[in-house]
Amino acid sequence: MKKQLLLLSLVFLGMIFIPRLSEAQVQSNSFVSVTGEVLKPLKLSLEDMKAMKTYEVKTKDMQGAEHTFKGVRLVDVLDAAGVTLGKELRGENLTKSLLLTAADGYQVTYALAEIDPEFTDQVILLAYEVDGQPLPQGEGPLRIVAPHDKRPARWIRELTSIKVLFPKD
Amino acid sequence: MSLMKGKWRLKYGISSLFFACFLVSFSSVDYWKAEPYLLEYPAYFGGRFTVPEDNPMTEEGVQLGRILFYETKLSGNNQLSCASCHQQNLAFTDGKKLSLGVDGSETKRNAMSLANLLWVRNFFWDGRSSSLEDQAVFPLTDPHEMGQAMSESAHKLQETREYPDLFDQAFGSPEVTQDRIVKALAQFERTLISAYSPYDRYLNGKYNLTEQELKGMNLFMNGPSPQNKTRGANCGHCHGTPKLFKELFHNNGLDIAPKDVGRMEFTGQESDLGRFRVPTLRNIAVTAPYMHDGRFNTLEEVLDHYNEHIQPSKTLSAFLADISNEPGGSSLALTGEEKDAIGAFLHTLTDSTFLSNPRFSDPHIQSFKINSIRR
Repeated sequence: MKKQLLLLSLVFLGMIFIPRLSEAQVQSNSFVSVTGEVLKPLKLSLEDMKAMKTYEVKTKDMQGAEHTFKGVRLVDVLDAAGVTLGKELRGENLTKSLLLTAADGYQVTYALAEIDPEFTDQVILLAYEVDGQPLPQGEGPLRIVAPHDKRPARWIRELTSIKVLFPKD
Repeated sequence: MSLMKGKWRLKYGISSLFFACFLVSFSSVDYWKAEPYLLEYPAYFGGRFTVPEDNPMTEEGVQLGRILFYETKLSGNNQLSCASCHQQNLAFTDGKKLSLGVDGSETKRNAMSLANLLWVRNFFWDGRSSSLEDQAVFPLTDPHEMGQAMSESAHKLQETREYPDLFDQAFGSPEVTQDRIVKALAQFERTLISAYSPYDRYLNGKYNLTEQELKGMNLFMNGPSPQNKTRGANCGHCHGTPKLFKELFHNNGLDIAPKDVGRMEFTGQESDLGRFRVPTLRNIAVTAPYMHDGRFNTLEEVLDHYNEHIQPSKTLSAFLADISNEPGGSSLALTGEEKDAIGAFLHTLTDSTFLSNPRFSDPHIQSFKINSIRR
């Protein structure tokens, strides 16, 4: 009897929640926005990313196991939005930074010069696959992979927003 | 004809007189100057906060905000004020699971503490509001909370003897407007800084934590790492820094299928199902019951939850899943003694000066009340 009641209430709850869930799915959570000091603000879906040139990065996790991340270069996404990179990354533009925000509100920053290939050999990736699989829930659909960061605290999971900022001071 | 002309001249004369008066009154606004309010806070809180440019903090504005915070005229039945659900001695909570609104119904979620809101960027359990000015409108107008339209609140205050003067002092003219009400409230709320707990004295080198409190603090701040033989509860991952919160939203494993969808209601994102704001733990010992629905009555129940009862789901925080003090363990596996130590540390976060600071208390002295009733 108790089991039946539980089942019934689960079905009832399902009826309430399922329409809301599918509504949310339509809006999809696989968007990342690029805003701030850009010529062209972008809102990129996972499909948009997959249409760009892909890169692979091999890294070791904290337990020492090797993983291959696949995705697009952060610098290419910024370039598509018209961010001052390459020859334009000089003078006051060197004071610009990126504020990256995750779905849970976590935020980290990178300076533009940490990303530009004229300054660094490090390829910072906007990864959507690890070892041939889509990133798991809670980590994906998009995650930053910065292989030169020894502590992966800036490998921000569930990336939703990239904002290019000038300092206020 | 000449008579008409005379009338016109008179009218013209009167209107220019009015215009002159208007100019005089306008220039008097320029002379109005409120005293800037100086915010004081410890350097370890950091300066990442914004006071809106169109609402600079002034002594007069803060004082008006404080009076409004305790004003029952802001509610539909003249019985509730902000302070009804945000009582100073409980770190601006109400000790209830859910709160009662003017219509006698319960609020959807537990009343949150108002300590150190200056550093908060997304208000409410679901983070739907991005400024204190914007936030205040919700409880003021929600039919299940204070239940009164902002225009009605402005009208009621305008009709009193004392408020036009107070608005004049705070904003340079006696008009009571919706905008000014929320601005003053926000100014007062930004002053509610809690930074004098024993833990703060410890951070300032003026208090020695007891052995148990110190052990609790270390467990609180560290993550468990059985391979390195470090024990920890990892609370600091979300509640770290001296502010004891980070601006985050997480599903902390209360339910497999949450009844309250939390932040998802605001963002529409499936990944936000069951995610709620990470609140500050300052004064946590006096803000029971706990969680967005007030389901836990004691800190012991809260610690038991994180230690033993995390419920799995697709959106469960990755920082709560499969972390353990035992190799391969599926729960935190803290001992009873360790939980007690964390509890002892949590008690060092109670700031008695915050709970009794006269600058935050009810300013409605008796004569003030009598005046407004007589009116």
